[in-house]
Amino acid sequence: MIAIAILIGCVLGAILGMNTPMISYTYSSYLAIAIIAALDSVFGGITSVIKKNFDLKIFITGFFGNAILSILLTILGEKLNVDIYLAAIVVFVGRMFTNLAIIRRYYVDKWSNQLKEKNEKKD
Amino acid sequence: MKNKKAISIVLGLMCFALTLGICVQLKTVKGSNSVISQNYEENNLKAEVLRYKEKYDNKYKELEKAEKELEEERQKSIENNSYLEQKEEEIKQGNKIIGMTEVTGAGVIVTLSDSKKDASTALNVSELLVHDADVLSVINELKNAGAEAISINDQRLVPTSSIVCGGNIIEINGEKVGAPFEIKAIGLPEQLAALSRPGGYLEILKGATVGVDLKKLNSITIPKYTGVITYKYAQNSK
Repeated sequence: MIAIAILIGCVLGAILGMNTPMISYTYSSYLAIAIIAALDSVFGGITSVIKKNFDLKIFITGFFGNAILSILLTILGEKLNVDIYLAAIVVFVGRMFTNLAIIRRYYVDKWSNQLKEKNEKKD
Repeated sequence: MKNKKAISIVLGLMCFALTLGICVQLKTVKGSNSVISQNYEENNLKAEVLRYKEKYDNKYKELEKAEKELEEERQKSIENNSYLEQKEEEIKQGNKIIGMTEVTGAGVIVTLSDSKKDASTALNVSELLVHDADVLSVINELKNAGAEAISINDQRLVPTSSIVCGGNIIEINGEKVGAPFEIKAIGLPEQLAALSRPGGYLEILKGATVGVDLKKLNSITIPKYTGVITYKYAQNSK
């Protein structure tokens, strides 16, 4: 059910995205930072599922909250002539790598354990 | 069960938002074929240029409307006056010759585009490009073959036109024009097509792997010159 919903969402988003008119060049930088923030939330969500402390409310608020906050910070940075979006990118991408490392460790551990069990059974 | 449904709907919506954002962003980046910059100053400049262009276009439309009105007034005033009608005819003829009116007729379209060959394999990169001199030579040959009206990328050639090198573009009538160059010429198509004769200039360009294309057409529309021709120093001699 969840997988189907995700698939439908992705396909619909892609189709609609291909058919929408081009947005103004000025807003594309905001959209870019929002995408990075949303991706960060997705990886955070996967990590929390692995850690078994996943909370849907926190996930949703993080997804939209981070995106909106990063856009607002980028606008503020432009008004102050400070490239705040750089800080946002560093934080988000850094967190993404951390989360990816956790996910990787989890699956590598799982896989090596399975391999070990198989070998023990053979012996 | 209810909880699961809610979760799946929410996740679907989030995926929808994320893919939508990514697709729109990709499209925008692809569409604006320039280096992405998040610099406030640069974006401002870009927006300003676009604003001025829009202003110019609006003014130009107004000018065209005013010209149309003038034309109508003229038509009205010359009615029932054969002398004025004759003069009007003369003006029209003159405008056609100097390129101040849009003209249609049979002719050829010559397209010159930069070579598709990898520049790193060429001994002389300059040979792979279309230069102002190449365009000039082609224009000269077309004129020699009896072309009556010529335009390059919709820049009409008039008596005051110049074709000069401007770095990676060429300037025609002071306007920047970039490759590929679409040269439209009105005249007898068979005669103009002699441009591609063996030993002709197009043959030389082809030898330099420059993209050359010549099409004969029964109807070509060449736009009018959008600038103003003013003569300050040339006076009528007695």
